[in-house]
Amino acid sequence: MLSAAAAPPRVLLSGDEAVARGALEAGVRVATAYPGTPSTEILEALASCEGVDARWAPNEKVALEVALGASFAGARAMASMKHVGVNVASDPLLTASYTGVRGGLVVVSADDPGMFSSQNEQDNRHYALFAKVPMLEPSDSQEAKDFTIAAFELSERFDTPVLVRITTRIAHAKGLVALGARQEREVSGFARDPAKTVMVPAHARRRHELVEERMLRLAEHAEETPLNRIEMADRRVGVVCSGICYQYVKEVRPRASVLKLGLTNPLPEGLIRGFAAAVERLYVVEELDPYLERQVRALGVPLAHPPTAPRTGELSPEAVARHLGARRRAPRPPAADLPPRPPVLCPGCGHRALLTVLKRLKVFVSGDIGCYTLGVQPPLQAMDTCVCMGASIGLATGIERATGRANNLVAVIGDSTFVHSGITPLIDVVYGQGATTVVILDNETVAMTGHQDHPGTGRTAAGKPTHRLRLEEVCRACGVEQVSVVDPYDLARTEEALRAAVSSPAPAVVIARRRCVLLDRQARPPARRVDAERCVGCGRCLSIGCPALSEATAAGGRRKVVEIAAALCAGCRVCAQLCPAEAIVEAGGDG
Amino acid sequence: MARRAVTSVTIAGVGGQGIILASDIVAEAARCAGWEVKKNEVHGMAQRGGAVTSEVRFGERVHSPLVPDGEVDALVALEILEALRHAHRLREGGVVIASDLRIRPAVRPAGAPEYPADVVQRLRRAARRLVLVRATELAQQAGNVRAANTVLLGALSRHLDLPLAAWRAALGAVGPRLLEVNLRAFEMGRALRPARARA
Repeated sequence: MLSAAAAPPRVLLSGDEAVARGALEAGVRVATAYPGTPSTEILEALASCEGVDARWAPNEKVALEVALGASFAGARAMASMKHVGVNVASDPLLTASYTGVRGGLVVVSADDPGMFSSQNEQDNRHYALFAKVPMLEPSDSQEAKDFTIAAFELSERFDTPVLVRITTRIAHAKGLVALGARQEREVSGFARDPAKTVMVPAHARRRHELVEERMLRLAEHAEETPLNRIEMADRRVGVVCSGICYQYVKEVRPRASVLKLGLTNPLPEGLIRGFAAAVERLYVVEELDPYLERQVRALGVPLAHPPTAPRTGELSPEAVARHLGARRRAPRPPAADLPPRPPVLCPGCGHRALLTVLKRLKVFVSGDIGCYTLGVQPPLQAMDTCVCMGASIGLATGIERATGRANNLVAVIGDSTFVHSGITPLIDVVYGQGATTVVILDNETVAMTGHQDHPGTGRTAAGKPTHRLRLEEVCRACGVEQVSVVDPYDLARTEEALRAAVSSPAPAVVIARRRCVLLDRQARPPARRVDAERCVGCGRCLSIGCPALSEATAAGGRRKVVEIAAALCAGCRVCAQLCPAEAIVEAGGDG
Repeated sequence: MARRAVTSVTIAGVGGQGIILASDIVAEAARCAGWEVKKNEVHGMAQRGGAVTSEVRFGERVHSPLVPDGEVDALVALEILEALRHAHRLREGGVVIASDLRIRPAVRPAGAPEYPADVVQRLRRAARRLVLVRATELAQQAGNVRAANTVLLGALSRHLDLPLAAWRAALGAVGPRLLEVNLRAFEMGRALRPARARA
């Protein structure tokens, strides 16, 4: 992998893999991240690389602090995260801008316009302005690699963290990438320099001045860097764009002149003015917020289109064509009246079992970020809040304090999410003398992003054994006296534990432990089937929304019965425990 | 298929059917054939039993990884309702390679339509050039029911201008573990009668 000579000339890499490859070639020593779509594959690609300490962090704030410390010690370091992860890491980010770096420090923000797997579609380009750090926006996999290398160089040259901002269509698009060799770099070690690394007010005031000077020098650099380039063609239309939007513009208006910005903070004002003067009609094409547009208008440069803010969703070639007034044939309408196919909890998912019990308890469910959020859909509809990582417990506490009761309320949070940011609000439950019940859905993995490890799994990013954080001990150490562990597949015992926890006047934690069904597929219990003779067609089993169950007509009759698709059934027996007629039996036997 | 500047393939199906793997094989085959390649895919929550698509584009120069509407040259569907869902995005004369497998959506929100009983007829009307494949059955014959995606790629290979050697190299590179089964499944798909040339 490290030898370019032995590798094929160009390989297919996703943008995430290309960012990782760029970091590897740039000699990154410390890489850290918390999993989050669409950023997860960056750290995964580095996890097995020799010479790189690549590890999952409990959350993005810790990741960035670790990377900053490595930078202070003279190593090139990278922290990667999804867009909302930067919110968590924003505290160190805004002051890392003041301290600057010693080894190159790159922060990767993978934004999710269109919210394929996110709770919002915030535009993280604003963070570059806010934190006063340079930002690079690659437009394909090759640039994802090249810009990551350039980011490390810029970071060291200008003594600043550098934000590399990608979006889903960069992160999860694949393209051809030419590989280079890794440059190994010495790590200088930590040297005391309190004026730079101790941000007390007296030091920070001086550093802020340096930040402002740095941004002026970067603005000069932006005028001449090859990261920004003008592609002069038909002068009647000129387009300012960056990132994936550049590809859409080239797709639908291949002859337009383009000012392609790779360095999007600070902007090259001279280049923009010069380009604007050289074309007849000037457009800005960008996804989400009018980040470029506002700054271009602020220069007094007139645009050929009205202000476009606010905007929602991801762009497409078609949308860019409309924006640029390109004539295109009207698209054919999609087929009407097709049933939607939303994502669902997997057959055999322990979350489904737990949510089934919560529904029976008729409690409000303060939810969190994870696969279990899918429980908001019918037929379960067992999720009443979802805001951000770790919010379930704080929200439940707030509801309790406002209403004065906690016996109709449960906070539900996954194992990895609990470690990420559920521990501090649990401390607040105890400290605030509340009675909130917290359910930790422990599936022993970060499932939604593709089964990454975390401190509670006892394995590193490279799959090696490490200390395993025991969630029940953490909860007891927070001061929760009632901590129980149940297997959610056992509905009766789970219900009993939950009733006891919810009715208790003290805080309680129920850990519902059931390994994600997508792991260890070989070890599944045998599939179930429905004995059509016994099935009374009551539909109780259908109320759990399992994809393996469906309604059918009994052979030779009009009677409605339930059918189980053997290929899908994971043998969890949750449906069987709901059946009043004992009609759900082991497939192949008569029960 | 006539040589175009860019050839676009959309692969659609239900999360878990091997859609992304199939698109990786098409992309790698195009790379082996010497073309520039881009592909897009969706990860994360969207994959859990939901509708999933992945798209591959190859040619001398490829810009957008997303295929613009009306520019899909070949639509490969591992499930027939998903073929119908994307058929309107075909180029005039584009071809559909669809498995005859029907998978009902796992949940039916209130007011949502039923699975269309006439899905085959509707697909025939929407796509004049259609290869309907008993992909599950053929994959079983090849030795693994999960090789249905490779059966469809074999059928697709009759409609794309990529050399057989590139397909074989791609199958070896992307899925070396089940290579024998996959090569058999690919040949079974490739042996199917291709769709008529555009009238």
